[in-house]
Amino acid sequence: MATQKDRQYRFSLPRLYMVSNSPGHRYPASDLPGLVREVTSRIPAVIQLREKHLAAKSIYDLAIAVRKSIADSRSLLVINERFDITLSAGADGTHFPGNSCPLEKARNVTGSLVMGKSVHSLQDALTAESEGADYLVAGPVYETPLKRQYGPPLGLELLETICSNVSVPVYAIGGITPKNARQCLDHGAYGVAALSVFRSTDNLGGILENFNTALSQCA
Amino acid sequence: MRLDIPILCCITADSSCPVTQAKKALEGGATMIQLRRKLASGSELYTWTEKIQKLCRRHNAVCIVNDRVDIALAAKADGVHLGQEDLPLEAARKLLGNQRIIGATISTVTEAKRAERQGCSYAGLGHIFPTVSKTKSSEPVGLKRIREISAFLTVPILAIGGIGTDNVCEVISAGADGIAVISAVSDAADPVKAAAELLKTMQTCSRNP
Repeated sequence: MATQKDRQYRFSLPRLYMVSNSPGHRYPASDLPGLVREVTSRIPAVIQLREKHLAAKSIYDLAIAVRKSIADSRSLLVINERFDITLSAGADGTHFPGNSCPLEKARNVTGSLVMGKSVHSLQDALTAESEGADYLVAGPVYETPLKRQYGPPLGLELLETICSNVSVPVYAIGGITPKNARQCLDHGAYGVAALSVFRSTDNLGGILENFNTALSQCA
Repeated sequence: MRLDIPILCCITADSSCPVTQAKKALEGGATMIQLRRKLASGSELYTWTEKIQKLCRRHNAVCIVNDRVDIALAAKADGVHLGQEDLPLEAARKLLGNQRIIGATISTVTEAKRAERQGCSYAGLGHIFPTVSKTKSSEPVGLKRIREISAFLTVPILAIGGIGTDNVCEVISAGADGIAVISAVSDAADPVKAAAELLKTMQTCSRNP
């Protein structure tokens, strides 16, 4: 089996990470391929297909459509939790929520495909890394109504603690905007992840440009 | 993987611990356990599947997971059961290989033909009678549909929906190779006894008279 290091160098992860949907903000899934095309044609991104309200067949169909819409080959598609869909639809990897099936069991099935994991504490992060996660999504970093179920925000200090204690890339999530993205990177994050900021705007081009500026400064 | 006929498939109900339900059903003689818990987390499903799979092995029965091919693969279950809205059968077959069991929910002749062509191991046909376990918008398909489909289908037919000891012989004599039940075993006062009675009744009724 490939070591952590081998896997890390097999692909280059974009710094921007977009989660397709969230329980608090539902958008028509049919919008997604168009939105993904718009985002990834301007800036490489990890796209996480997270449509928990849809049945597996619909997620599978959507995954194929989104995969085709990733114009930039440096963008990646990961499927939330369902690595059977990842494999069937030809996606690049799987993102596992906190209460997922054990990562090492999924690794036996998905081989070298990318595996990410959501973490909400330093302990979560250390466990996920030891179980073989290729990247982590840590949050919520800032206060956000959608993430209140996970308790108080981590804050930048804990984000930094997490980032300095793991060797895999960490994406900051929760209340992320182009304005505070830089702050997250300065505290050790590899990149930033967001959901609604891509949807609730009539100036997507501007948002992406600002993300691009903030994220490219850290290279 | 070969399925012994008649099949008694017990589907877990949402009412209590699925592992306990499986244990009792197997003690009563269930030949197949289907873990079905739509709202459970991946972590829970994985743990339950591993446990139920072990129990099934001990009882010479098979363990299948509803919808979640990912969990079946990770926990090395005997197979999956797929509804019409789940991962397409052909995609699941590619992931699971030829040896593992894939059940398909069907209710029409067209769906039966397609499922067989796409490589299902058995067809779950229903709902046969009115049922309380699932809220259904469609009408029961009745015994006539079992006769129609069993006339050409080569894989086993599991009849589902409103089946108990009082009417199990009707579905078997119409051509079903077994039954799938939820509440008839899981919610019975004595699930071990309920499963045993269903199996015994199925074994004594005549097929295709």
